[in-house]
Amino acid sequence: MSEARNPVKPESENLPRLVVLLHWLLAASVFFLFVSSWWMLSLPLPSDEFTYRELPFQLHKNIGITLFVAVITMAAMRVRSLLRQTSSPQGWLQRLAVVDHILLYTLLTVCCLSGYMSSSYSGWTTTVWWLVDIPAWSAENDDLNILFSEVHLWSCWALLGLLLLHIGAAIYHGIGNDGAIDKIFRLR
Amino acid sequence: MNNSEIKTANFSWLAVVIMLFGLLLLASHSNELLKQAVLGPGSSADLGFAADCRADELEEEQLSLEECQLMVSNVRIILSSSPEWFRPYQLTLSSLGIAATLFSLVTAFGLINRQSPGLGLAIVSTALLFIIDIAGFVAAVNTGPLLRAQYLWPLLLWICIHLCMLVAVIRFGQQDEMDS
Repeated sequence: MSEARNPVKPESENLPRLVVLLHWLLAASVFFLFVSSWWMLSLPLPSDEFTYRELPFQLHKNIGITLFVAVITMAAMRVRSLLRQTSSPQGWLQRLAVVDHILLYTLLTVCCLSGYMSSSYSGWTTTVWWLVDIPAWSAENDDLNILFSEVHLWSCWALLGLLLLHIGAAIYHGIGNDGAIDKIFRLR
Repeated sequence: MNNSEIKTANFSWLAVVIMLFGLLLLASHSNELLKQAVLGPGSSADLGFAADCRADELEEEQLSLEECQLMVSNVRIILSSSPEWFRPYQLTLSSLGIAATLFSLVTAFGLINRQSPGLGLAIVSTALLFIIDIAGFVAAVNTGPLLRAQYLWPLLLWICIHLCMLVAVIRFGQQDEMDS
């Protein structure tokens, strides 16, 4: 492994600090959203008496909306830095990494948007972090709510599958010590 | 690979593992905190209200009527099998768990950035996580069979994960000391 002889990447190849912070914020949020959504969907259906779902769903939506802003910011920053790069990806592993990242950003965006659309058509209001009301996309519509719920569900399953690939790649690079891992841990 | 390269590789691998399990544990403790905040004694399921299972909601959630009714029973099971001390204990323990996990995530950054107390802090944070797992396990053992069935197995898995990590960081620490 010739790359292992120079594990620390040059300073210029380090990712911007904001991208590193957003990456870990996204990772923590995504895991929490998966775990909490599996649990909150087992809570009693909402009614006048049963309000168990109120807090978890509001929290889910708040984190989802924040995540959407973070994903867009991060994607824009990554595109900007990619455009500055002079070299193109070489080898199938590097090309797979580029495809993995594009798919991750796309699926994260689809998950967030479909969640918002589903919520919007469900007739429930969304107040971001209990401060700002987000206008509903349209009036309540059960068919569209179910459609966007399905899109939300399947895009999230696809995201989970892709995350496993992403984690596998991280462990591969960590054991190989090729410097790829260092970039996402450096705050300089 | 010479010794120094192997050491760097170990640190990178260890940081990834600490980060991965740290993020999963953060989600787990945060969800437990949320769970305890939402499922309070004296709430509607505890007061014996019947489930409200409207046909349109059942279709939307793709649930059977029985599943909808059992959702209320599920909450009732948790509330009735929780001893009085369990909720405040879990609220405290999951808050401590979140703090200790965040600390362990910071140590992963320290390991990659080769900061001198990195490994020492990693040992402390992993030991803390291990102790919190044990405290959770002991608490779950002292509840009824219904809660034990929910909590014990995942906690045992976490205990094993943190034990492996603790042994690894201690061993790497010893090797690091010998090398220096």
